[in-house]
Amino acid sequence: MTPSARLRAEALSVSFAQTQILNDLTIDIPAGEITVIVGPNACGKSTFLRSLARLQKPSGGQVFLDGKSIHQQPSRSVAQQLAILPQSPSAPEGLTVFDLVTRGRTPHQSALRQWSLQDKSAVEQALDLTGMGHHANRRLESLSGGQRQRAWIAMALAQETDILLLDEPTTYLDLPHQIELLSLITSLNQKTGQTVAMVLHDINLAARFASHMIALRAGDVFVKGSPARVVTRQNMEQVFGLSCQIIADPVHGTPHVIPE
Amino acid sequence: MSWPLRLPFLSLSLSFRATIVGLLLLAIVLTCSLLALSLGSYPIPAAQFVPILFGSGSDIEGMILRDHRLPRILTALGAGASFGLSGAMFQTMMRNPLASPDVIGFNAGASCGALVAIIFTGGNVLFGALLGAVLTACLVVGLAWNKGLQPSRLILIGIGIGFACAAFADLLLSRTDARTAADMANWLVGTLNARDWSDVKIVWTGVLILSPAIFWLHFPLARLSLSDDLASGLGLGLSPLRLIITGLGIILAALAVCTAGPLPFVAFAAGPIARSLLPSGKPILLGAAAIGALVVLGADTAARMVPLIQLPAGVFTALIGGPVMVWLLLVQFRKGKL
Repeated sequence: MTPSARLRAEALSVSFAQTQILNDLTIDIPAGEITVIVGPNACGKSTFLRSLARLQKPSGGQVFLDGKSIHQQPSRSVAQQLAILPQSPSAPEGLTVFDLVTRGRTPHQSALRQWSLQDKSAVEQALDLTGMGHHANRRLESLSGGQRQRAWIAMALAQETDILLLDEPTTYLDLPHQIELLSLITSLNQKTGQTVAMVLHDINLAARFASHMIALRAGDVFVKGSPARVVTRQNMEQVFGLSCQIIADPVHGTPHVIPE
Repeated sequence: MSWPLRLPFLSLSLSFRATIVGLLLLAIVLTCSLLALSLGSYPIPAAQFVPILFGSGSDIEGMILRDHRLPRILTALGAGASFGLSGAMFQTMMRNPLASPDVIGFNAGASCGALVAIIFTGGNVLFGALLGAVLTACLVVGLAWNKGLQPSRLILIGIGIGFACAAFADLLLSRTDARTAADMANWLVGTLNARDWSDVKIVWTGVLILSPAIFWLHFPLARLSLSDDLASGLGLGLSPLRLIITGLGIILAALAVCTAGPLPFVAFAAGPIARSLLPSGKPILLGAAAIGALVVLGADTAARMVPLIQLPAGVFTALIGGPVMVWLLLVQFRKGKL
């Protein structure tokens, strides 16, 4: 086990009915880094992320948070250390950004302590970091796609956890907004040292923003490591069945996939 | 706009609008109760309430106020509040306004239980209603369960079981003598005729005992309106919470049914009406309780004002609830949820 990993899957298997989704998967999520999980459709990326966040019960193996099985820890104390933003999250109609971000405080609150000074400062800081302070009183449905996604990220940040899991946070965003959101996540990671693990579809964006990558194929880890190690011609061929050339991104130097 | 409230043992963020709406509703409930107390075939001006209650009016006025109107109104308020609370709990938990105990058959189950208790044991209506509601709920949830509880499955199966319960109630009626059957039929529509202090005691004791739990529920309920994954991700234990909420909702529905009969549409309409008055994301339980109390009080007072024939209050709650149901169905259609 990498000494700096707080979140670890060990021999993790998940199956729905007869279908095996994840297959005996053992892997660490390195602390303080941005890990991006990639893989073809239906390779189990989302299931893997949901399992890491104890939203999916494994059929075999375990997920460890700080060396203890995540399913045996109280859900509330897990939520104080790990936040997850599921794919296309939904909120009740008419909810304001401020109210949504306040929901992120749930694991630190109770029925009698619903709005402490710490809650207030955490919510304000989350709005600030995501640049949503001006929009705090707007209704969620009145926001653009990019703003809405930032509001959701603000909710996860208000949870003040060391680990942040994001399931396809760039879905439905156009390219400029995807870049904006991923830059935001990178700068947050640099500012707070938060461990980030996210699922992304776009290999080129993944290679540019990740410090660590995991490529899944058919429910198993095919390769992991730095973007330069994962995004190679051979790996793309074997993971995605995509024949391609890899060039160095002329601006950032990260590997860039050119499909043939 | 909101005010922070911070005490050593309590911290809340009080929404300006929610607080104003809450106080207004409370004032309306009080005013309407006083109005209902004075209205009737023997009108009594409000100014005389206090002297009469302290024994300085005529015997007949004392009797009307103390033994008839006051317990009847208090029962109406308690039963209405319980219906409203129960409905809002289920609706919020299932994130669907159709999932209220009167739509998904729990009220019908409670009234079947009550009928069985009345006819066969002549005894404990509360116990019968509670048992009927619990059994029906187990049946509905058991049949709807498919690796979790999907609202649409629960609602459709609940509606079906509700019809089955209604048929069973009809069967019970047809097996009893005409006089009892007529009383029972009236009761099945929902009525507050001839309520006395024992009804007041049942419903209000129940509500008071449950009130700490209801206060506590505001916190998780506001978070359950997010999706399942989000709520679990925030550290809420969904299954135990759902069990607690279902249990509380059933007890409240049974309390209301055994004191006021299965008044239709109160549990169903109270939550959405409260929701439309309060800002989104704010807790609606107390608002729904107030609206439920108002609807039942209004329906019962209207029923009392129709001279000669003793109409059951359920006729009037259906008059209010029917249009609300049509409105909700239209809204859901438009949103593509149905």
